[in-house]
Amino acid sequence: MNRLPASLAALACAATLVARADPLPADATYRPLPTKPFSEVKRLDEAAKPAVQRRQADLLASRYDLSNRPIPGVMMSGGRRAVQGGVRVKLPAGMTWEKLGAMTPEEIRERNLLPEGFKPLPHVKQATGGQVFPQNQIDTIAQLEQRDLRRFDVDFDLPDHLTPEFPAPIFLTTHPELGDVSRGQVLSIRNFYEIMNGLITPVQMEGLRLLLTPFPQEEFNQTEDRKVAQQSMGVACLDCHTNFHSNGAFHLTPDVRPQAARFRLDSTSLRGMFNQQIHGSKRSLRSIEDFSEFEQRTAYFNGDHVSATRKGPNLPDRTNQVAMMAQMQNIINFPPAPKLDWRGRLIPAKATPQELAGEKVFLGKGQCAQCHVPQTSFLDNNMHDLQLERFYRTGEVRNDLVLQPDGPIKTFTLRGIKDSPPYLHDGRLPTLADTVEFFNLVLGLKLTPQEKEALTAYLLTL
Amino acid sequence: MRTFTIPTAAVLLTASSAFAQFGNPAGMMPETPEARPGVPAPYANVQDRLFVKLLGMGNAGEVAAGRLAGSRARHAGVKTFARRMVDDHGGAARRLEAVAKPLNLPVPTEPDPDQKAAQARLEQLEGAAFDAAYLQAQLVDHQKSVILLHWVISNGQDAGIQSFAKETLPAVQDHLRHVQALMAEVTGAAGPVDPPVVAHR
Repeated sequence: MNRLPASLAALACAATLVARADPLPADATYRPLPTKPFSEVKRLDEAAKPAVQRRQADLLASRYDLSNRPIPGVMMSGGRRAVQGGVRVKLPAGMTWEKLGAMTPEEIRERNLLPEGFKPLPHVKQATGGQVFPQNQIDTIAQLEQRDLRRFDVDFDLPDHLTPEFPAPIFLTTHPELGDVSRGQVLSIRNFYEIMNGLITPVQMEGLRLLLTPFPQEEFNQTEDRKVAQQSMGVACLDCHTNFHSNGAFHLTPDVRPQAARFRLDSTSLRGMFNQQIHGSKRSLRSIEDFSEFEQRTAYFNGDHVSATRKGPNLPDRTNQVAMMAQMQNIINFPPAPKLDWRGRLIPAKATPQELAGEKVFLGKGQCAQCHVPQTSFLDNNMHDLQLERFYRTGEVRNDLVLQPDGPIKTFTLRGIKDSPPYLHDGRLPTLADTVEFFNLVLGLKLTPQEKEALTAYLLTL
Repeated sequence: MRTFTIPTAAVLLTASSAFAQFGNPAGMMPETPEARPGVPAPYANVQDRLFVKLLGMGNAGEVAAGRLAGSRARHAGVKTFARRMVDDHGGAARRLEAVAKPLNLPVPTEPDPDQKAAQARLEQLEGAAFDAAYLQAQLVDHQKSVILLHWVISNGQDAGIQSFAKETLPAVQDHLRHVQALMAEVTGAAGPVDPPVVAHR
């Protein structure tokens, strides 16, 4: 190896500092203003919609088995939806999970054998992006508030049975004895007072009101730059985090540009916020106050204060409003896990031998507890880079999403994880069995089929 | 290190991949013609036109710099990389010409001003200093190209250009990995997050 003296290298770099060629136009960073009247945009979007949906459906069908195959007797915490079972990610022809798990990342990349379902999942319409709500949320909000969350350019893409139960139950840290306090309803600006009166403080009540108050933003506003038919009353925080959980609504990450590189984000649950120290998949905001305040400043997950300002941003007062929103979010508990003790460890007398075997894998060979530490709500309050790009060729494009390395992503909690499909930050993994196969491959664990089944059984107890 | 194979995937511009692209109707220019409702006919918007210009200049610059480096570089790996640039960017220029022609868009044959300035500096250098300066310029050029391709995939309109961009990006990204790997070898800089696919096969 012949290395260059540092001074020469510095000289070579310095010589390139002054750019003579023009950079790209502003739309590489900023959202462009609409160039067509609204009626024309709507006509074109509606005409294109069937092909947009078909393309996404084809992609999903090629990656996953989307059939309705629940695990017998296993329900989500509200008892309203069954937990789906089985590995749903499809393997390349002639491959088995065992054969794949025995290969090196280099071999898998070289031979292009990483299952498509393990690669980043595109938004239904990447070039436009924005929030997309499941039909049950759209219908419920239309009925309760006469507010329209239906986009004319895209529909939600996953079947209901592969998303969280709706409406999700609500558990409060301040009233564990009550269990689910949702009354089986969706919290909205119309009914929150009636449901929560007597259960929460005035401060929490005001925080809840703000979290349920819609504000006009990106696709849901009053200008021609919207994706709903009528001028929109906007969206509320809990339109994605229905009942402080997730309804599976998705968006694009706010933290990346250009648009084609923005990866999909599956809405996270707000359960256990009281123990979470960093917020946002990539931004690592240090408090829920920062997050609640800033998302209203930057167009709900678009990282764009410029576009938000045009449509009317909400700038909640830090002391009198943001703190109250935070205090409400910080009393949302995890669902009960009767087999776990205070450390997050299985109580042997209550667990099955298979679940105990799964915990052993979780803490040992599976390496799960390196980041998902049981004692700290299965969090480590860190971000980690799984370096998935070791397994596939980045730069390929799927439905207008350029597949790039994800870089560091926040550790998400595993408490109540059976309630939160689909999995990973972009929702690319439909079931817990898929996550076990994913991490078995990515971490090079070489788990046996029995160990994988035990680990899945253990995850269901959390 | 073995000889490189020129990626052939980028040559394939199939009708199906062209029709799989929908563009971005919210950003569509008002005068865009439609092949059928909601589907733009072959039509280059402002972004498509700028893309053809920038990439055309970029290809010309890569070929010119690659020819110089092919004869002047000291490090054998840099020489091989330079030949890869001449081959791949020459091929990309021909494919760009093919997608630009039906749109009546001229493809520039001169490098962009930054590349010309870098070339002028390179002409003055020899040996290890030349290798480092060439690699640094290549790093910046390929970073710019990766973002340029992302941008036209995000904001362009013409289905032919969209297909071209999507099929070209993996190769350009592999060039970027290749130049990062060479910089690690020649200057001790940090290498790529993932190793090149073609270069070290």
